[in-house]
Amino acid sequence: MVLKDVITNEKKSAFMLCNEAIVRGALEADVKVVAFYPGAPTSEVLDTFSEALGNFDYQMEITTNEKVALEVCAGASFAGLRSLTAMKSVGANVASDTLFVLGYTGVRGGLVLVIADDPHAHSSQSEEDGRFFAPNAYIPMLEPSSPQEAKDMVKKAFEISERHRVPVIIRTVTRVNHQSGIVQLENMERTGFKKVKWKELREEFTTLGEVARQKKLKMLERTEKLTKEFENSEFNFVTRGDSDAGVITSSVSYLYVLEALKVLNLQGKVSVLKLGTTYPLPKGMIRSFIKDLKRVIVAEELSPYLEKEVYAIAKDTNPSVAIFGKNSGTFSEAWEYNPNIVVKGIASVMGIEYPDYAPIIQDAKQLKALIPDRYPTFCAGCPHRATFVALNQALRIQVAKGQEHYFANDIGCYSMWVFPPISRSDSSLCMGASVGVANGLSHAIEERVVAAVGDSTFYHAAIPALIDAVHNGNKFTLLILDNSVTAMTGQQSNPSTEFTAGWKQGKKVSIENICKAIGVEFLEIVDSYDVKNNVEVFRKALDYDGLSVVISRRECALYGDRNKRRRGEPIVPFHVDKSLCKRPYMCLRTFYCPAYDIDEDQQPRISQDLCDGCSVCSKLCPFQSIKRSEVKA
Amino acid sequence: MSLNIFLCGVGGQGLVLLTSVIGDACAKSGKKVITGEMYGLSQRSGTVFVHLRIGEDAFSPLIRYGDADIIIALEAIEALRYIEYLKKDGIILMNKRIMHPPIETSKIITEKGTKYLTVEDVVSKLRNWTPNIAVIDALKLARDSGNVNTENTVFLGCLSALEAFPAEESYIRESIAEAVPKKTVEQNLKAFDLGKKNAHDSLCTLVACKSAP
Repeated sequence: MVLKDVITNEKKSAFMLCNEAIVRGALEADVKVVAFYPGAPTSEVLDTFSEALGNFDYQMEITTNEKVALEVCAGASFAGLRSLTAMKSVGANVASDTLFVLGYTGVRGGLVLVIADDPHAHSSQSEEDGRFFAPNAYIPMLEPSSPQEAKDMVKKAFEISERHRVPVIIRTVTRVNHQSGIVQLENMERTGFKKVKWKELREEFTTLGEVARQKKLKMLERTEKLTKEFENSEFNFVTRGDSDAGVITSSVSYLYVLEALKVLNLQGKVSVLKLGTTYPLPKGMIRSFIKDLKRVIVAEELSPYLEKEVYAIAKDTNPSVAIFGKNSGTFSEAWEYNPNIVVKGIASVMGIEYPDYAPIIQDAKQLKALIPDRYPTFCAGCPHRATFVALNQALRIQVAKGQEHYFANDIGCYSMWVFPPISRSDSSLCMGASVGVANGLSHAIEERVVAAVGDSTFYHAAIPALIDAVHNGNKFTLLILDNSVTAMTGQQSNPSTEFTAGWKQGKKVSIENICKAIGVEFLEIVDSYDVKNNVEVFRKALDYDGLSVVISRRECALYGDRNKRRRGEPIVPFHVDKSLCKRPYMCLRTFYCPAYDIDEDQQPRISQDLCDGCSVCSKLCPFQSIKRSEVKA
Repeated sequence: MSLNIFLCGVGGQGLVLLTSVIGDACAKSGKKVITGEMYGLSQRSGTVFVHLRIGEDAFSPLIRYGDADIIIALEAIEALRYIEYLKKDGIILMNKRIMHPPIETSKIITEKGTKYLTVEDVVSKLRNWTPNIAVIDALKLARDSGNVNTENTVFLGCLSALEAFPAEESYIRESIAEAVPKKTVEQNLKAFDLGKKNAHDSLCTLVACKSAP
């Protein structure tokens, strides 16, 4: 990340990741309070604000979860300050309870909420269509297709939010968030941060019963006003072609459509309606776009959100128009689109012969038949690997004694447990769900239930389920894998970290004290790297006739490396002493560490560039053949 | 016509930084750039890739199958993993370095007779797609520069030699200096020069290059 362009006062064009452009837009709009829980593909919004914090005087929190983040923003907004949060689609589920209410209560200072969907589930547990939050909560939504548009929309969203006293959703998808491009930087019109006096601003932000019923009517009025306003929004525009065919599109699909029209020589022939305000939709604009067309193609990823509206509008406006989208089978509701899919779809509707890409894929498939998969795996030095090595050994001993198990996994780096070659999880749902599910399973199955959560997931959503377990006397084993940071999204701080946003000092919130206060009676704390000891601790926990909690603690290897570099400490790797190694391959079979491979003598070899020096494998080698090297290359 | 570059490698090799430097240098040179980047999980060792397109008519952040002019692979196996994106007869600029994923190693010890895929195996497969393959010992050149982590910058040096690559060298050097940690600027600039020099001995025998310094 090149921070200088995000914070510069210079007005120039810069190459930026969309997530950075979102930050830039918010800074230009004088945002005062930001709060986030990290989640791909939005994490760089958090990271960029955190890096830039030293240069500005906005307030920033990395919160325990997305709901708290939205509430932090709502609080600031009630006091008249501009605020912004960004979250992945599944995070928006967590925040949605608050989101729906804000539609009723309204806000004061501009409140912008970025919701990033992840079509293709690249880094999520589901392909969710977050667009439906907007009509469901009567909250306006803008959808950018590029970094430039994202910056422009964020700035505009603050204005809309303040004018209509309502939060505004900026809805993105992975291919927008993780798209870089040229962005035109504008003035940074920032004012100093100053607390305000509530007694000078006081108004009520409440909703319930009769108040809610009255506010519902106001929400409908507001939506009507927004519909009219969006008819003239600069974010909706038409490029007219000279044929009877047109495309209606939004988000990144718009860019695929432009590419397809170029490839198919249809530029200037097919009309395009690009929608940027996708709630409320500019229905008048859609009506006039389709009025004289014979064929309309709707290009949008996931659900037929626009398409259904187009059908409804066509029924009155132009009943004979042919609509091509999901319903016609031109496009799928599954997975993300790409230029290949959109070229093919438009070519088929336009009756253009276009060479199918299937033979290319087929040729490539043949060539790469032999290449190994490269699944994400635990990094070299990852404490989770050591925890799971010990857990595996403990489980094996327990199985020999006749105790069988169910393993409930959760969301975090330890999710890698489901990927081969270390594959074992009976379930893995969403943040904190392992503990909730363990409660249910403890009533339902004879086997011992083992659940695992990370530190960040524990604070985020697991605590209520753990209280439930204690209160109801449920019997299972919970591993809390505490690696000090939210590792999977890029080692952001959380309440287990000694830092807060911008690497300012923060107070650590003790996981063991929470467990004790809840009333957990079996509680052990171990060092993840101490495998031999941990096998015994895990066995005791599995044998315990009640709820047993083990906190396995050791900082994330990548975070640890970062700290070592900051302190100027070397990372000293290990190597295999070939004269001692008798090749039982225990290291390879047990650890699957990416620093390992096999040399020409069929002996295990440790890459001096990749080894993190964690020492775990060296302690378990039966021939003591794994030795610490002198210095790292 | 846009220049379409497909970059790939293994998590931890600095592909994101490389993309950022290329994009920044192009922006400084007044060129339009657009990328589609794929990362999300921050673990090391997984496969990572970036679609990078330079040119006024590059609309989509993703390259169509068979439409990349160049594949730049920071790890040898990864060049083959994304071959469907390359034009037939396109250019492959790949690392001699091969990083065996744990799943491959585990097969070798559990299934008799299995062997590691070699760089030669990869290249012979790639030859079915294109004859234009340059293999760079980037790890060695990075070590020669004094910093083993500069493989990405070595590749940037190679790329800069190509006639079709429109960013001006002075801007590339500026972008490198702005993007990498201060302590490593010298080493990165050296890695860049080593990469450029190496390209003139290898890559430039296959495709048109700017004249050697």
